Amino acid sequence: MGIKGLTKLLADNAPKGMKENKFEGYFGRKIAIDASMSIYQFLIVVGRTGMETLTNEAGEVTSHLQGMFTRTIRLLETGIKPVYVFDGQPPELKKQELAKRYSKRADATEDLATALENGDKEGIEKYSKRTVKVTKQHNEDCKRLLRLMGVPVVEAPSEAEAECAALCKSGKVYAVASEDMDSLTFGAPRFLRHLMDPSSKKIPVMEFEITKVLEQLELTMEQFVDLCILCGCDYCDSIKGIGGQTALKLIRQHGSIENILENINKERYHIPDEWAYKEARQLFMEPLVSAPDEQSELKWTAPDEEGLIKFLVNENGFNNDRVTKAVEKIKAAKDKSSQGRLESFFKPAVSSSLPIKRKETDTKTAKESASKKSKPPAGKKKKK
Amino acid sequence: MLELRLVQGNLLKKVLEAVKDLVTDANFDCSSTGFSLQAMDSSHVALVALLLRSEGFEHYRCDRNVSMGMNLNNMAKMLKCAGNDDIVTIKADDGSDTVTFMFESPNQDKIADFEMKLMDIDSEHLGIPEAEYHAIVRMPSSEFARICKDLSSIGDTVVISVTKEGVKFSTRGDIGNANVVCRQNTTVDKPEESTTIEMHEPVSLTFALRYMNSFTKATPLSSTVTISLSSELPVVVEYKIAEMGYIRFYLAPKIEDEEEDVKP
Repeated sequence: MGIKGLTKLLADNAPKGMKENKFEGYFGRKIAIDASMSIYQFLIVVGRTGMETLTNEAGEVTSHLQGMFTRTIRLLETGIKPVYVFDGQPPELKKQELAKRYSKRADATEDLATALENGDKEGIEKYSKRTVKVTKQHNEDCKRLLRLMGVPVVEAPSEAEAECAALCKSGKVYAVASEDMDSLTFGAPRFLRHLMDPSSKKIPVMEFEITKVLEQLELTMEQFVDLCILCGCDYCDSIKGIGGQTALKLIRQHGSIENILENINKERYHIPDEWAYKEARQLFMEPLVSAPDEQSELKWTAPDEEGLIKFLVNENGFNNDRVTKAVEKIKAAKDKSSQGRLESFFKPAVSSSLPIKRKETDTKTAKESASKKSKPPAGKKKKK
Repeated sequence: MLELRLVQGNLLKKVLEAVKDLVTDANFDCSSTGFSLQAMDSSHVALVALLLRSEGFEHYRCDRNVSMGMNLNNMAKMLKCAGNDDIVTIKADDGSDTVTFMFESPNQDKIADFEMKLMDIDSEHLGIPEAEYHAIVRMPSSEFARICKDLSSIGDTVVISVTKEGVKFSTRGDIGNANVVCRQNTTVDKPEESTTIEMHEPVSLTFALRYMNSFTKATPLSSTVTISLSSELPVVVEYKIAEMGYIRFYLAPKIEDEEEDVKP
């Protein structure tokens, strides 16, 4: 899932591209959320003890509804305007990865059976989590719930993350929230992590800005995509023995995967057969998304109280009082989201003054870039 | 090298009291024209802009444009140690990571040095365009502070509307609602007690009272306050600082829904 080790790589090499913000600071912002990922997490975490999960009277799982309902209310209460994006058809390239996950799930189902036989409690919890699968029904349930809550739902033509990034690029939303670092690779200008974490964990939201990340890594977007492919993504294999740091070094040195392949020691590193890196790159750079003018208007409306009670209380066994209270919360939250932000009126300007305090980091980077400048001519001399 | 000597050291104390609750850390910018600060509150709803022009200082030396990042609470702590009649001098050397506040008693018999550590602050500077406002209200600052305080005991937001009749402040809460109307009034003996309204177009905007109340902490700086309103701009609440500058607070309005005109 996502890009292997990218968070750490960025923390080490592009610390200025990421910053921690308070959850509350995002009021009034429109934010696109990868729904499938969230639903998956809810199914794993919400209300689980061992094999038991939340269910309705008919025995169908309701963890996803519970999670979606409470977390969305939390967002609305803060004044955030969420829009959920659901996955469409997976791209051809991901089918391999999906097949892998499928077989893993099958293994886990077997392991679960063994664990059940042996009464191994830890094993039961571990393996039953691994057997979790988001079905079409789960998705449909959540869509219905969100529409009743007055929250817009977008169906992506293909990957939800790519569609989120496209919404962000066209300015329809302020940022993309996901736990999957893929969003950055798809070029989302602003990407948030931990937005959907429960409030009890008190984890601040991590905000990534792609322009700053690229600036600090000294890479172009295309090179960044190559870097992500080398780190390991969902769409093709990576080269064994090359992790984030090495990948970054290689990309900085050679500029693209093609050039790396020409220069790399093939004895030492085993290049996968029929490596589909070009296709993967294509997929990241030009994913299947709705064009800006095809994107539907995003509208947040008042919740349908009767509909919610019918769906959650009557059909899925939620507590009536809790749902009524929650609806009140959604209504009250409307007031909060109306507070404007100064950035919508005033644009950032560059301040002319320099800090009086000498910054250690500044002098360091100045030195680094100076030494880099001196390198290329030296290289040329050698070639001559 | 930077050396600013302010005879009315008291002013600086009042300025700090006015901004320290709204902003925790900020960069003070110093140029040949003056000593200034621009900072947003953490939620980016309000902005404070301070200017103390160089002419207002007894001695003003600033060789190049510099900024100094300070924690305003710590700065306020240090300035609290100055007497009300003390002369305050702000000093910093190039490349230094501290700033010094020097307090001299009026008869020069006591001199105190307070050195404070500076900090690196990544702050966004916003460009604030000069604008023509639809309505400009000038009124006694204590009156404005009183209204904000009174209304906040009833509701969370205030609607400020300017019409030919005057300026109306209204709020609504669980226990009821309240309206305060101030009419134009220039007949009083003292000009600082008058209320004047310049209106080009009627305007009505909604604001969070929490911020307004925080702005009124600047009341001791000036006997009058100027409130400038335009329907598509943040409100400006300005307090003049004794012939030498101003402190301005900008507050983004609340937008009654079904907007879609505001960017995400």
